[in-house]
Amino acid sequence: MKGPIRGRGIVDGVASGPALIAAEAISFLGDVDINTGEIVGDLPSVHGRSVKGTVLVFPYSRGSAGAWRFLYQLFKHGNHPVAIVSREPPDPSVVQGAILAGIPIVSDIPDAVWGNMQNGEMLSVDGTTGEVKAAE
Amino acid sequence: MRLTAAEERMLDGGDGPARQKAMAGLVQLGRAFGAPRMVEIGYAHIHAGMALYLHDVELIEDLATLGATMAVPSSVNIANADTVNWRATGAPESLARLQQRAAGAQHQMGAACTFTCTPYWAGHWPTWNTHMTSIESTVTIFCNSVLGARSNRDGFFAVYAGITGRYPLFGYHLDENRRGTHLVRVDTPLNSITDYSALGFHVGRIVGEGVPVFEGFTERPSLDALDALGAALATSGGVALFIVPGVTPPYATTAQAFAGPVPESVVDARRADLDAVYDYFCTRDDGVFDIVHVGCPHASFEEMKEYGRLLDGKRIADGMEFWITTSRAVRRMAEEAGIIRTLEASGAKVISDTCPISCHFARTVSPDPKLGVVPPPLRSIVVDSAKQAKYVRDMIRCDTLLTGTAEAIETAITGRFVRHGRAA
Repeated sequence: MKGPIRGRGIVDGVASGPALIAAEAISFLGDVDINTGEIVGDLPSVHGRSVKGTVLVFPYSRGSAGAWRFLYQLFKHGNHPVAIVSREPPDPSVVQGAILAGIPIVSDIPDAVWGNMQNGEMLSVDGTTGEVKAAE
Repeated sequence: MRLTAAEERMLDGGDGPARQKAMAGLVQLGRAFGAPRMVEIGYAHIHAGMALYLHDVELIEDLATLGATMAVPSSVNIANADTVNWRATGAPESLARLQQRAAGAQHQMGAACTFTCTPYWAGHWPTWNTHMTSIESTVTIFCNSVLGARSNRDGFFAVYAGITGRYPLFGYHLDENRRGTHLVRVDTPLNSITDYSALGFHVGRIVGEGVPVFEGFTERPSLDALDALGAALATSGGVALFIVPGVTPPYATTAQAFAGPVPESVVDARRADLDAVYDYFCTRDDGVFDIVHVGCPHASFEEMKEYGRLLDGKRIADGMEFWITTSRAVRRMAEEAGIIRTLEASGAKVISDTCPISCHFARTVSPDPKLGVVPPPLRSIVVDSAKQAKYVRDMIRCDTLLTGTAEAIETAITGRFVRHGRAA
């Protein structure tokens, strides 16, 4: 990543980890196995990868009112992403799960810089200021 | 976000630690969705505390311990075990005991511990323009679309809203989002409640998170039909509101429902579209099924009467497991009306507080290993609801057979699968 990019801070907190970039929309109800953190849903770009410890990047979330519980369960099992970056605001349920689990979220990343994040690179996410940058 | 003096006091801890925690969460939620202020709510349908998930009952117990009490009338969503009759479901006692702990915490907080996905059949009936919150998408869509209340599809924070009596102003609380996005033309008679479920599943797949407006019903849909339609729309799509002009307050006409030009493109719903939903959920018909289930969403009193009529003097086939699921409140009414006696005399099991996809059959859960929960091996379940069918497939991970209610009951009596539209 060249310089920092700025979106909108949605859930407070600061965290860093390797980026895991999904090209497809994600549903926490069904797409991610709570007990392993593995992506088991139909997301070809990241199928079989684990969200554990990552900065999980996706374009948007697919609606499910139960999403909060699965995100919170990932956290209770220690298999959660440390931060979330999304192009469009995730569902209210995802946001509620992230607040419960203390997982910062930055959303509303401008299209022009969406492609600047690279899979596997260490990112630092600030859910209060909305800044996403290369971790030191 | 602009807060009133009372809301600021909650946020500052002046009303105790539970309201402070709840208000802090709601303020952050409001910020995320650009809410300018809070609204006062009149009703909350809240999370049960689910015994099949690690530290989930404790989420509710922790709030009760912090001194949380409900500021508005509150009902409680479906749970992971029948807390009275768990033995009939094969659930381990440890699971039922943990689920009972959630009931204790709910009582302490002053919530009506309904343990159901259809609290409206148990008397929780919010009216037009009541701001509310619900953790259950079936409740959200029924209250928005049939009663004219205002609710988003919420998660855990429904309990925070109940504790504070507040919810951030966004989404379906705003008039601008309560307008039609798709016109649906129903071009077939609907012959059963399950036909409405199939219709909802078909339309939800097409409209996603839109607001479908329905035309073409040959008669005013019954409350049970509207319930089935909404539950399915909220399952295959992210639908929170549908509009039937003349039924959904305050829309008398299709033009009012769109508040602007009526879309030129129309979503068709023909008999073939409904048949395709039944076929989609009939993955295998080799005469092997473990359970026949009716009562998704949890049955109304009218549906209990219908089951009683269909099973009066009949006998469930030997070795067949037949489940009827309903709320404990409706169960009590049915008991007093003599319906439960008729149902149980036939060999049916009447289960409350839970259902097949919500109980220990699910394989996508993550209970505390100490509970010793082992999902039974199930090959196929016959159901009369597209919502149940989808989650039987996704959560229990076994085959389904979707058919009408009368046909499901005939299946249980004869031991042979009866397809929809083929009831004797």
